[in-house]
Amino acid sequence: MTRRRFSKLLVANRGEIAVRVIRACREMGIASVAVFSEADRAALHVRLADEALAVGPAPARESYLRIDRVLEAAKASGAEAIHPGYGFLAENASFARSCEEAGIVFIGPRSETIALLGEKTSARREALLAGLPVVPGTLEKIADEALLVSEAEKIGYPVMLKAAAGGGGKGLRLVATPGALLGALARARSEAQGAFGDDSVYLEKAIVGARHIEIQVLADAHGHAVHLFERECSIQRRHQKLIEESPSPFVTEELRERLGALALALVRRVSYVNAGTLEFLVDAERRAYFLEMNTRLQVEHPVTEMVTGLDLVKLQIRIAEGEELPLRQADLAQRGHAIECRVYAEDPDQGFLPSPGRITALRTPGGPGVRDDSGVYDGFEVPTHYDPLVSKLVVWAGSRTDAIARMRRAVAEYKLLGIRTTLPFFERVLRHPAFEAGDFDTSFVGTLLAEAPASFAPVDVAIAAAAISRFEERRRSRARGVAPAASGWRAAARREAHTARIGTRG
Amino acid sequence: MIFDASVSGRSVRVEVRGADGRYSLRLDGQPLEVWVTSAGPGFTSLLIGAKSHELGLERLPQGYRVVFPGSSVTVELAPAGRGSAMAGRHAHGPARLTAPMPGRIVRVLASAGADVVAGQGLVVIEAMKMENELKAPRAGRLQEMPVREGQAVEAGALLAVIGSGD
Repeated sequence: MTRRRFSKLLVANRGEIAVRVIRACREMGIASVAVFSEADRAALHVRLADEALAVGPAPARESYLRIDRVLEAAKASGAEAIHPGYGFLAENASFARSCEEAGIVFIGPRSETIALLGEKTSARREALLAGLPVVPGTLEKIADEALLVSEAEKIGYPVMLKAAAGGGGKGLRLVATPGALLGALARARSEAQGAFGDDSVYLEKAIVGARHIEIQVLADAHGHAVHLFERECSIQRRHQKLIEESPSPFVTEELRERLGALALALVRRVSYVNAGTLEFLVDAERRAYFLEMNTRLQVEHPVTEMVTGLDLVKLQIRIAEGEELPLRQADLAQRGHAIECRVYAEDPDQGFLPSPGRITALRTPGGPGVRDDSGVYDGFEVPTHYDPLVSKLVVWAGSRTDAIARMRRAVAEYKLLGIRTTLPFFERVLRHPAFEAGDFDTSFVGTLLAEAPASFAPVDVAIAAAAISRFEERRRSRARGVAPAASGWRAAARREAHTARIGTRG
Repeated sequence: MIFDASVSGRSVRVEVRGADGRYSLRLDGQPLEVWVTSAGPGFTSLLIGAKSHELGLERLPQGYRVVFPGSSVTVELAPAGRGSAMAGRHAHGPARLTAPMPGRIVRVLASAGADVVAGQGLVVIEAMKMENELKAPRAGRLQEMPVREGQAVEAGALLAVIGSGD
């Protein structure tokens, strides 16, 4: 493998991850090229990049997912490499192959590795051959409904329906009883088709009461591979991760070493190159089952960066340039504790319904040990077409207890008006005794949402603030000679169209 | 100036006097001295005694959403004597299901004329890459179901009207 230095790099993504890669480029002296859809002309990644090229209309399949247009943009700009971020084309083997054929370096593993590990049934086969334990299930995707029903019976309920091309909780359904199987199948297929352009699914036994723990790996093209320890991702809702941390409060030194060794066994078997993550389910007896390998940078990579002191995006770029890994396993250690909260444009009071719209005011937290990887700004309109991730709030501290206290402080400082976000939900999690004790599994969020939320808001202060505002509003409108009729107060209601609620309350 | 304020069903009579950031309030007769200053667009800083509060204020048709760290409170306000700030909220008549966000209708799960139960799924709407099932706010007969599968809808678009069913 020849060593080279990139002078210009195209970022085939949007939102916070595009911003993250552009920042790495800026620090490395590499010119960055953004691509954007018609809905994203004003997006932060376009503003921060050195160059930016339009690649099509708002729907992702007509812009960010168009391999031909992204490659054209790379050629037109003279970019030597493409960083795909996560989602969109990041695990698309034909995109990686098209890059290879066009002589543009795809920052990730080889296209055949992506194909092998990205298709989940072949990934399970490779994992078994590498000696990794896997969750019992069908090794092949199943098209025939009758076969699916009989396989589900064989595996035993509850079962998990999974999109073969899946990730990020899309096309994933937990099925508790035989009667619910076909309905869940229709939804899983339709979501998988929309998200990945492939509606094939397979079955796995659902491991109840398990933890979701993943191992970050890095491998260069010279045969060196290391693991960067674990991330705990059990705080998730419908398989969408909400909070991640490293180290996991559940992982013992013995389990950490065991998972790391399993991860590297698969990395070596497939001669993996660049950054990747192996996801495991770990049950209460600390039995680990390999779930899948994500052949890309993860959303939650910052928690690993905080505890290892490494910059994963820069290392990805250096590996793609043909560099050797600058460190070996013995050089690595987890230091302190890091937590990430994913701030989504979703309303936790309305069952996490999407809440796109304009951000009318924004204050982000600062101070010691706080990092905000954001893709938005004050005045930005969060579009409806893409993932609702607004920002990733990350903290680091010397211990888990201190990191939780710091995250609570940072969440309290984080103020965002105009749209609803998951921030109030994090306040609830971070105060929960089970979370503080590290005593939780993937069912935690469901259990928490079933509990009545304790309100910590000072209601009298809220009433005072609202009454004074209304008082001043009426006085100002009188001073302007506007009749303070009730209808006059409603002028502001135009701006509130996006706060429409489902039906009547009652 | 006197208002009837309402927070999640609890009603409070509020009296406000003062100017230029200094206000004397009575909440159900209890006095409260408040020193207010703007803390940038959308944000307000309150000193109540020496206690400092920074909060966000979002205007709603009936009042404000007051945003605290980690939680928010919706305060509805009406001039005193015009009845409860909650008036009109429990009006009888048909219940309307509207789209909470812009999106695309991927499935219609019931049709006009059908009797539905509270919490029954009526339509599935896709937004931000996720499918969301919208449920009947109450039991009754579906009077209108004006959407089709595949249709794009704006926030606030009417999706269903449920009659009382009697």
